[in-house]
Amino acid sequence: MALLGQTLRRGLFETRPTLPPTFLLPFRAGLTTISYSLETGNVPEPLIQSGHRISADLKEKIQSPPQFPKGTLPPAPSAAKPTHHAREDQVSRQLTPNIRQLLPLLHSQSAHYLTIHIHGRPYLVTQGDTVRLPFLMPDAKPGDILRLNRVTHIGSRDYTLKAPEAEKGTRDHGKRVFYLDERLFVCRAAVVGIESEPMRVMEKTKRRQRHVKHVKSILKYTVLRISEVEVKSLEEYEKEFAKN
Amino acid sequence: MPYFRITLMRSGIGLPEKTQGVLKALGLRKRMTTVYHPVTSSVAGQIMRIKELVDVKEVGTALNKKQMREARRPAPGYYVERRGTAELEPPQ
Repeated sequence: MALLGQTLRRGLFETRPTLPPTFLLPFRAGLTTISYSLETGNVPEPLIQSGHRISADLKEKIQSPPQFPKGTLPPAPSAAKPTHHAREDQVSRQLTPNIRQLLPLLHSQSAHYLTIHIHGRPYLVTQGDTVRLPFLMPDAKPGDILRLNRVTHIGSRDYTLKAPEAEKGTRDHGKRVFYLDERLFVCRAAVVGIESEPMRVMEKTKRRQRHVKHVKSILKYTVLRISEVEVKSLEEYEKEFAKN
Repeated sequence: MPYFRITLMRSGIGLPEKTQGVLKALGLRKRMTTVYHPVTSSVAGQIMRIKELVDVKEVGTALNKKQMREARRPAPGYYVERRGTAELEPPQ
């Protein structure tokens, strides 16, 4: 009885369709060399952009051939190094075809973030963020408005504009750091106040010496509030070129 | 006037006193210290004594310590657009 049950079950659930003759089978093998992982190169573009609605007008604008207004492509300025082996901060001044094509898309999304650099250190911020810097800005008093102009990344939900990676300094040249064009964005921060750490007391003494010196430390930190993060549109950016 | 830009790449610990004396004379205290000396035969001879420890380049001008530090300083990344006290000033 058990055996019969097993054979019945096998008959019901195991389907073994008979293959057609070889000459009727398709030529393609069942094997594939396509990777199905979710790396950026593998995911087809419509799927990457699927979460983002692009209006018909925007699509038309993107697909139109690039027309560079006069003065948009100045020659890449060869930064004259004041001293050899000095660190070079190269701020982009060019409107590349890539920016021309994708800046409208970046601008059309509502929320943006920036990776600002203060004294070479990066901070990823968006509007309304409070940044407690790990140092005190001696020249910025509470109530001052700062304009931040060194940025390496401008991003939104689906797009990111990145500056090239920094190049390590070698025997022949100093460190090269690349930043995005200042005219692409506006970032303002207000100095909200100055915080301090809890007081630390360090005891300094020597062996077989009764006197103990107490050194107190209270370090101060500047607190900024990012009041404005704005990414310019392509038209506004092109106008900046016409100004210069 | 051309200068040698000399950077100590390898430490002189464990080396003979005379060799360490050359490092001291050139002003190379620690690894990665960089000094500038004018191009003369005597300095060239000193470099030849410690040529395995050192990286040398010929440049046009000499920099002092302060200038070297300033050359490495990154851009501040901000400027003060408006002072908090600006509102208190009477309109002009």
